[in-house]
Amino acid sequence: MQSNKLGWILLAPTLVILFFFGVLPFLYVVFVSFHQWNPFAASPEMIFNGAENFRRIVFDDAFLNSLGVTVAFVVFAVLSELIIGYLLAQAFMKEFPGKSIFRTIHTLPLIMAPIIVGSVWKLMTTPSIGIIPHYLDEWFGITMNIGTSAPAAFMTIVIMDIWHWTPLVTLTLIAALVSLPRDPFEQAQIDGANKVQTFWHITLPMIIPAVVATVFIRLMDALRTVDEVWMLTGGGPGSSTRFLGVHIFKEVFPKTNYGYGSTISVIVLYLTIVVCWLLYVSMLAPRKNRKG
Amino acid sequence: MNFALKVGVSALAMAVASSAAYADDAFWKEAAKPYQDVTLRGVTESTPPSNYIREVLAPEFEELTGIRVDIETTSWDQMYDKAIKDMEAGTGIYDMVFIEQDIVYSYLARDFLTDTTKLLADNPDLKAPTYSEDNFTTFADYFRGENGDLYGVPMEAFIKIYLYRTDLFNDAEIKAAFKEQTGRDLVPATTHAQYAEIAQFFTKWGEDHEMDLWGTTAQAHTGHPASWYEFFESIAPTFGVYNWGIDADNNYAASVANGGAMNSDEAKEAMKWWLSMRDIAPPESNASTWTEVGTTFGAGRVAQGLVYGENAGWIAADETKSLVVGNVGVALPPLQDGIMEEVEGGVGYIGYYDGGAFGIPSTSKSQEAAMLFLQYIGQDEVQPDWAVAAPRVTNKTTYDAPKVQAMNEELGGYYDLLRDKGYLFAGAPAYPFHAQVREATAPILYQILTGDLGPEEGLDQMAAKAESELTDLGYRK
Repeated sequence: MQSNKLGWILLAPTLVILFFFGVLPFLYVVFVSFHQWNPFAASPEMIFNGAENFRRIVFDDAFLNSLGVTVAFVVFAVLSELIIGYLLAQAFMKEFPGKSIFRTIHTLPLIMAPIIVGSVWKLMTTPSIGIIPHYLDEWFGITMNIGTSAPAAFMTIVIMDIWHWTPLVTLTLIAALVSLPRDPFEQAQIDGANKVQTFWHITLPMIIPAVVATVFIRLMDALRTVDEVWMLTGGGPGSSTRFLGVHIFKEVFPKTNYGYGSTISVIVLYLTIVVCWLLYVSMLAPRKNRKG
Repeated sequence: MNFALKVGVSALAMAVASSAAYADDAFWKEAAKPYQDVTLRGVTESTPPSNYIREVLAPEFEELTGIRVDIETTSWDQMYDKAIKDMEAGTGIYDMVFIEQDIVYSYLARDFLTDTTKLLADNPDLKAPTYSEDNFTTFADYFRGENGDLYGVPMEAFIKIYLYRTDLFNDAEIKAAFKEQTGRDLVPATTHAQYAEIAQFFTKWGEDHEMDLWGTTAQAHTGHPASWYEFFESIAPTFGVYNWGIDADNNYAASVANGGAMNSDEAKEAMKWWLSMRDIAPPESNASTWTEVGTTFGAGRVAQGLVYGENAGWIAADETKSLVVGNVGVALPPLQDGIMEEVEGGVGYIGYYDGGAFGIPSTSKSQEAAMLFLQYIGQDEVQPDWAVAAPRVTNKTTYDAPKVQAMNEELGGYYDLLRDKGYLFAGAPAYPFHAQVREATAPILYQILTGDLGPEEGLDQMAAKAESELTDLGYRK
């Protein structure tokens, strides 16, 4: 009883901060999402409009387009990061010359702020000036213009995200791989399992919790990507890279459409929770059932 | 005049000047006494004029008055975000905010700003002897409310001009080739047809001579409002489409069907011409905002272009940034036939007169101290050095300062153009819904730029979208 009380006392400052800087703003956003509110409208005051914003969102082409490109981005980026990250983690489990230097260089993108990453990639990809379009043209005769080509802009953002965040996946998976017991692998070797079988039936089931945690982190990050995209394409060309984060930003800040922008934010949060829950159920629940 | 008289007159002049300076210093020290514990906080866009305030004027003011001044220079988006949130929430964090000319009507509509004329009238002790609203150029009128009072002290003003490379335009071989090809002399264009001819010539010249040279700039980013601004503020007016094609006196109509001009034949012609120029501009144009256009020109990659005057200074004179120093000329933008006569007659404008002011939020807790600082940066005395550091003129006497005259030579006569022809240019229309309509219609413009929509269909959609947004906002009934 005494330690329980002490625990609450120790937790209290964090809970208070969390309440004021997390829970309260969230409740306010939910409150605003049921209002029509644009301070630069003819009627700048907040007007309650029930679920009108939520009804509108279903038929909003701009939002649905943003949702579509965001889902495509998340699938491409997170899946690629997971595969490349796992391969790199396996590579780092082995000894090879220059391993420590390579590992350090490989981790460097992680310490860069997203806005810097966007700026650097913009410099590298600006048509006719950037190093990437220059050498693509010189070596392969490929014209790359992220200002006019939607696929080029989209793929550049996916590659930029992979470059930036794969090291995180690698580090997480290294930690998981290092902690695995040796016995099951030795047993599998004795039983004659090949590498694919070993991976599928032993490695993967044992690192699934780490994989799920990593996917959760990357999924949530990818769904709210703004900074890099803002710097690199501004959401263009057209609306081809106007991901949800950028769409919300444009709706809330330049357009000052606080009511509708809050509605989109609430919906995106809801979708993120649903996607994470589905992922959790599909990846971890079968494992629990097996145990049961 | 004999020697003794000359010495006497000089001594008298020096004595008067030094006593006036002493009197001025005495005013600032005396007026600042009640505010010694005040720290003024301002937020502005990171531009050369704003950086000069932060690095030079604010420290000078601090030293003179003892009032501390923190000027936060940030990106254009962040600047608005911070200022609007502060004023909307009434937190009073900022005592001074940058008011770009195009947002002032939104701020005034929300009573975000302090009436500086009234503030000084109510507090005569605050009025600096060296400050007067009469000192400002007519650009200050953009920051006056309906009562005629000033709500912001102008701090930057420039026009978007037609910049061209004098070294290329005066090159004998190029001139001869141009004459042979077109039958006319190579001189800055006055019409769109001439401009296009020159642009096509130089782009071809660059190709033929394997040079990184193109005939024109284009501020045609496919995901940034800079392209929207280039079309509606710099291109469309030269075809006779003013105020974004929205008729404020006609229920804010945008479409031709309802009495607007956003999708008029003139607007469509303007769009087609602009796209044709974009197509022969450097490849980076599709990713260029106003900053990159300046960089492209400064890198010597274009022969001519429409460039914001705030960039003209470093392009023409800063050897550490520009490769075309000493080779820059300025002219008025090319126009359709009849537009100049129309504008001279008082209808419309030929280009964008941009700039901004520093205003005091109504929510500021240190309005009097902030007013002292605004007067300090609004004095004639501080203007010449400021104009040389960042090409901007807000006070009438600045044009005549020797330093500014010298700079004018380097800039190919830019300041003369600003003074003599500035009246032909105009700021953004007096709409309180500036960013809202821009953001609603910009995605359609981006689709036009990427070729997903044709110019005619796209402008029709933009006009319809503008009207629907204005209806949602409650301005269009």
